Amino acid sequence: MENLEISSASPAPAVALNLVVCLKQVPNPDLQFQVAPDGKDIKREGLNYKVNGADEYALEEAVRLKEKHGGRVVVLTLGPKRTEPMLREALAKGADEAVRVAYDDPAAFDVGKNARILAAAIRTLPHDLVLTGVQSDDYAYSATGGLVAGLLGLPHASVVTRVAVHDGDLEVACELEGGLERVVALPRPALLTIQFGANTPRYAPLPAIMKAARQPIKEIGPAALGLPGWDAIPLPYAFGVVRLSPPVAKGHAELITGPIPEQAKKLAQLLREKGFVRR
Amino acid sequence: MAGGILVIAEHLDGKVAPSTLELIAAATSLRVERHGVRLVVFGHGVKELADHLAGYTVDVLVAEHPLLAEYTGDAYVQAVRGIVESTNPRLVLIAHTAQGYDLAPALAGAMDLPVLTNCLAIDLQEGRLVAARRILNEKVHVEVEVRSDRPIVVTMRPGATPPQGTGRGTMSVTEVPVSIDPAAVRVKFVRMERPEVADIDLSSADVIVSAGRGIQKKENLRLVEEFAKAIGGVVGASRPLTDLEWLPKTRQVGQSGKTVRPKLYVACGISGAMQHIAGMKDAGLILAINTDPTAPIFEVAHVGFVANVLELLPAVLKELRAG
Repeated sequence: MENLEISSASPAPAVALNLVVCLKQVPNPDLQFQVAPDGKDIKREGLNYKVNGADEYALEEAVRLKEKHGGRVVVLTLGPKRTEPMLREALAKGADEAVRVAYDDPAAFDVGKNARILAAAIRTLPHDLVLTGVQSDDYAYSATGGLVAGLLGLPHASVVTRVAVHDGDLEVACELEGGLERVVALPRPALLTIQFGANTPRYAPLPAIMKAARQPIKEIGPAALGLPGWDAIPLPYAFGVVRLSPPVAKGHAELITGPIPEQAKKLAQLLREKGFVRR
Repeated sequence: MAGGILVIAEHLDGKVAPSTLELIAAATSLRVERHGVRLVVFGHGVKELADHLAGYTVDVLVAEHPLLAEYTGDAYVQAVRGIVESTNPRLVLIAHTAQGYDLAPALAGAMDLPVLTNCLAIDLQEGRLVAARRILNEKVHVEVEVRSDRPIVVTMRPGATPPQGTGRGTMSVTEVPVSIDPAAVRVKFVRMERPEVADIDLSSADVIVSAGRGIQKKENLRLVEEFAKAIGGVVGASRPLTDLEWLPKTRQVGQSGKTVRPKLYVACGISGAMQHIAGMKDAGLILAINTDPTAPIFEVAHVGFVANVLELLPAVLKELRAG
């Protein structure tokens, strides 16, 4: 902590950036999921959790911007205590401070509520640039970043694959469908949602992992944001989960199972029947 | 003017996005008590486009402004906000495209409105909106509801609704005023970058064999290439592989890559994320190889092989050679 105070007191480089990265912890999306008996959530016992895929790229982008231009990276999450290992991993990968907004709803399906709480938390942090992943691997709303930008009145750009910081502003490339990219310039403070593959996320070096294990994680409760409880956050709507269910497939493949040699025979036969085998 | 559904058209280079016609279909299928469905075309010099869209059984509003010539979140949020405030619709429908997920949540945040994104189907019922979505890598279906006396911003996943066809005659086209404060347009368009055409063109191939994360290592691409060669195909990939730079970006099949319609598509170790499926679901024959029998790729495949692609492909190559 002392180090931080010394560095912030010393003259800052020309564009030292206060970077805030929003991280989400999600159940490993490669798992199988079952619906809880009440139909309002998935069964969460025994799930393993990881950092959301796109958020890893957002963190890496922030750490690279800090390395290039100077500044600080604060990682921010909304979630229960189980998110702490994710925050420590981010510290080990180059974040300077970790903040957990102690909103403990394990499901947290309402993206509007999540974004309003996050926006309130970001207001309490210095921010020149807020980065989020483009989409979460669990709920796939692609809405948190845009909502936070709208709520905070920040200019924003989405699906960002490249970020260049100039004196007064940012120039970023936004991915569109079909491989097109739209390049836009925007002033700071701003919010960017970072696309998968924007960079190559680093691994945390062992000494950094050891150090991160001892670093404090700041916790923000509702009181710190001037709220008597999380349900006091004003929402212009009422949100509810009606039910979760296994997906009803519109169509389904004829499934071939069994020993590999038999499957191989069937596949080769099918390719021949349909005339796709070159002789 | 209150009530009804406002649909935001999307267009680029003078062409309407296919998702816009899907939104019109989704909107017109809802039971809307008053004032029906209105489509808004924002842009500059888009009158012709608006006239064309009036052929799709929907009343069209045209909102023109020089600052809308190229999409920027700031200018669009201001322009849409003006029309939402003056028409006070029950729903604002936007496509869940790169532009849509830039615009929809930012609009909702700026106007303090409810928002539900990436919906497959929506229904307006007594006092509530019910939306069907897919979560957790498409493995769980969820229905959620929103009740609000404010307009609800909704984005619909492209490809989830069959597109609206043209009807007899054309509907009305009305120009509506747009006021945009230039000082509040902080995001500036710089340029559009188009992918360089090199490498092979996937979209003209008759047979595509695509590799996904299931191939585990870059070295295993050789196996996929060998198989593609045996059946006269070219190698494509899912997004994670081009992100890892195992294959060039030009080989990526999906929403952010190429949309392909080959005679045969073989998905090798691809789970079938929505973004991938959007780019290949219309192939003539789709075969999929995946270890997970619940993988969403099997929903669009015609025949699925529940196997490790690294074991099955060598065995198939042996069979093909033996034949």
